[in-house]
Amino acid sequence: MLKSLKSITFGVVAAALMAGVAHADITVYTAGPQSLIDKLSAGFTKQTGIKVNVFQATTGKVMARIEAEAANPVVDVLVSASWDTATDFAKRGWLVNYSSPNAAKVPDFLKSEGAVAQGISALGIAWNTKSGTPKPTEWADLTKPEYKDLVNIPDPAQSGSSFELTAALAGQDNFKLFNDLKANGAIIAGANADALNPVLQGAKAAVFGAVDYITLASKAKGESIDVIFPASGTVIAPRPAMILNWSKNQDDAKKFIDYMLSDEGQKLVADEMLMPARTDVPANRPLISDLKLLKYDTAAVYGKRKATLAEITKIYGGK
Amino acid sequence: MSTKANGIGGAAPAAWLAIAGLILVVAVPFAAVVLQGIFPNLGQGSFSSPFSSLIATLNDSALIGMAGNTLLLGGCVVLASALVAVPLGVFRALYRIPFAPVWDMLLLVPFMIPPYIATLGWIMTLQPRGYLQQVAGFNLAPFLFSLFGMTLVMTFNTFPVVYFAVSRTVEAVGARYADVGRVFGASPARAFWRITLPLSAPGLAASLMLVFAAAIEEYGTPAALGRRAGFQVLVTGIDLRITDWPIDLPGAAILSIVLVAMSLVAFLAQRWILSRRSYQTVSGKPSAKDKRPLGSLKIPVMIAFAVVAFLATGVPLLAILATALSRTISGGLALDNVSFANFIAVFSNSAGALAALVNSFSLGIGTALITGLIGVTAAYTVVKTKAPGRTAIDIMTVLPNALPGIVVAVGLILAWNAPWLPVTPYNTSLILLLAYCCILLPQTVRYTTAAFQQIGDNLEAAARVFGASSLTAFRRILLPLVFPSLASAMLLVFALASRELVASVVVAPVGMQTIATFIWRQFEQGSIGLGMAMAFIAIMITTLLPLGLLMLLRRSGLVAE
Repeated sequence: MLKSLKSITFGVVAAALMAGVAHADITVYTAGPQSLIDKLSAGFTKQTGIKVNVFQATTGKVMARIEAEAANPVVDVLVSASWDTATDFAKRGWLVNYSSPNAAKVPDFLKSEGAVAQGISALGIAWNTKSGTPKPTEWADLTKPEYKDLVNIPDPAQSGSSFELTAALAGQDNFKLFNDLKANGAIIAGANADALNPVLQGAKAAVFGAVDYITLASKAKGESIDVIFPASGTVIAPRPAMILNWSKNQDDAKKFIDYMLSDEGQKLVADEMLMPARTDVPANRPLISDLKLLKYDTAAVYGKRKATLAEITKIYGGK
Repeated sequence: MSTKANGIGGAAPAAWLAIAGLILVVAVPFAAVVLQGIFPNLGQGSFSSPFSSLIATLNDSALIGMAGNTLLLGGCVVLASALVAVPLGVFRALYRIPFAPVWDMLLLVPFMIPPYIATLGWIMTLQPRGYLQQVAGFNLAPFLFSLFGMTLVMTFNTFPVVYFAVSRTVEAVGARYADVGRVFGASPARAFWRITLPLSAPGLAASLMLVFAAAIEEYGTPAALGRRAGFQVLVTGIDLRITDWPIDLPGAAILSIVLVAMSLVAFLAQRWILSRRSYQTVSGKPSAKDKRPLGSLKIPVMIAFAVVAFLATGVPLLAILATALSRTISGGLALDNVSFANFIAVFSNSAGALAALVNSFSLGIGTALITGLIGVTAAYTVVKTKAPGRTAIDIMTVLPNALPGIVVAVGLILAWNAPWLPVTPYNTSLILLLAYCCILLPQTVRYTTAAFQQIGDNLEAAARVFGASSLTAFRRILLPLVFPSLASAMLLVFALASRELVASVVVAPVGMQTIATFIWRQFEQGSIGLGMAMAFIAIMITTLLPLGLLMLLRRSGLVAE
């Protein structure tokens, strides 16, 4: 009995070991969406013969893994959902400077020496069209009585873009908008997906600052939901792609960046309802040129990150 | 094997096997976590500025609140689980319950429903315009997003641990000892309270401790329900430190050690209770397992079983199924919104669904076998031998109880990703196997320990007197006697391993998906229906597969009815 148990165990262990050993030519860590990185790696492998191994999680979990692996890192290319990552990693001297020939049509504010945007998402109001509430057009509309207890706010501590929106809007009126929202029964409801789900079912009418591509993809699937970009301005979240300086496959990693920014790669980005980084690639959704962007000093905003989050926590109660 | 006797049993081989397994599975990642707490720059391979973050983390004013909330939630869930499970378990053990196997199966299902999925099911049922409101016209959202709601959801997820432990141990104790009490003039209630219940204490205490540990370690439910109620526990605090840039691994490690300390105290309390007397009831004498008729209690007991089964199994399963079958979430419960698209997507391997199923189930089987082997040897060494260091073994088996999955994952990365290691399981599926074994080892150990505690020493001694080697005595006498407990614990481990989320997300090798990471990614991208379809399929398989296996074992006579 014990013996057969042992041999079975050994067999399972051996099988698991064999299954796990996959020889990847480059390793990409990315913050969602999974389907985009799946398509990008398939297309890249088809074109170049270089295999891609992928780890996908939220930006926070990807960072936790890189931090824990720091003694012996394996990641070659990182795609984050927050430009802040690129700034921080550049400061630490972790990035390879690379200017892809395909990045010529990427506007200057979407690239730096060590990073270039894969695509861009924007924040808007996600609104359930069957919620029985009037269609909101402005951030401040959600403080009206019609939306009493019906607004979710994604947690700015858990999402980089949500934090930037919070900081930018709070900077304009010294948190008055957020106090008004709280007075109207708005709540902070976890990360982006946690905030959107109750709006789909109708428990809430709107998300204040929803990530647009997830909402637009839901709409494309037939959900009764829409995204509104307030005319007063919103924030965008460029998704920086970076090559890490410890990578032993930097040439292949550069090829991956080139492919990501090629016509084919950017079309895949657009298909996910993200804005392509290149201005000459069309997309079936509002583009940066259609949006008004809030003006704020990114460095200053991140410098005051702790204070801003503490103020939000104070307004919305202990967390 | 060794013929050297050590005390009554031949401790040596079992003890060495247990120690080797425990060091690999538990001590290595735990040591990495402790070192990380002491040396903040361990991740970079540096031992600089020791203890610097210890003071900062322990001085954080939020710590006391988080620790208090953790204990409060753990206590509430233990209390509620006992209230729900003990009466049902006792009735199941001592009385002839109509359709008993059906109730057992229905009460087994909550184990198989991942807590985060059950929580989401409850949210989608009780929130405004949720399924309850669509069916009955009202919602219970204010109850859900509170300590009460969290306790309720977590209790329905964990009480089966207590139910099965109580029904099994009370059944083993049987009515025989109570009957002796009755002969000497005790009333039925008195015989139950003074004889049956105290004798069943090992199983009850072990299961309540597992519930407490599971409750303070649970992430999904407090994250989804507690945050809105301003109720932060240690695990959500740990998660925030790990996922909020800049990442604070040392802080997370220190909070985990606080959590581990809580679990250790609970464990020592349980040991103290058990060490005060003997609980040996399995003595080799045949005992008739005659159960009594329910009589006039039949209707109320049936209603109690039905209500608990409906709340624990029915509501979450129906919510999962309703969501999986909806074309769109906003379409709600309507006939024209019914679609099998999500199930078709899973079976046509959309986004690697089938590979994720295969991965999780192979890992589940591997985890069950390894934890079973380590569990039975460790429990045997601790209970039946006088081997030196058995307290250390016992403590090592309880450590993972309190380690949150995410901390095990970080500990494993820290331990196994060192550049000087010639070979490493990191970035292979073996690392997931190690993670699951570490997290789930307490299940097999606690169940088999409770079983060993009820077996009289004279059985093994008798075998040895008649010339059996220690190994033979273990294999032919002890193992068959603990096998029912071991087998159920291993099946439970299989189910729990195949749905583990938090460690999997962080430590999964590149390019590998499991059931839970698949579901989680679908949720992240707003494809709730596809995630729920996968969850439903996984729940069905993890329920039916072990049941089929148990039936086979019963037919072969390995497991008693």
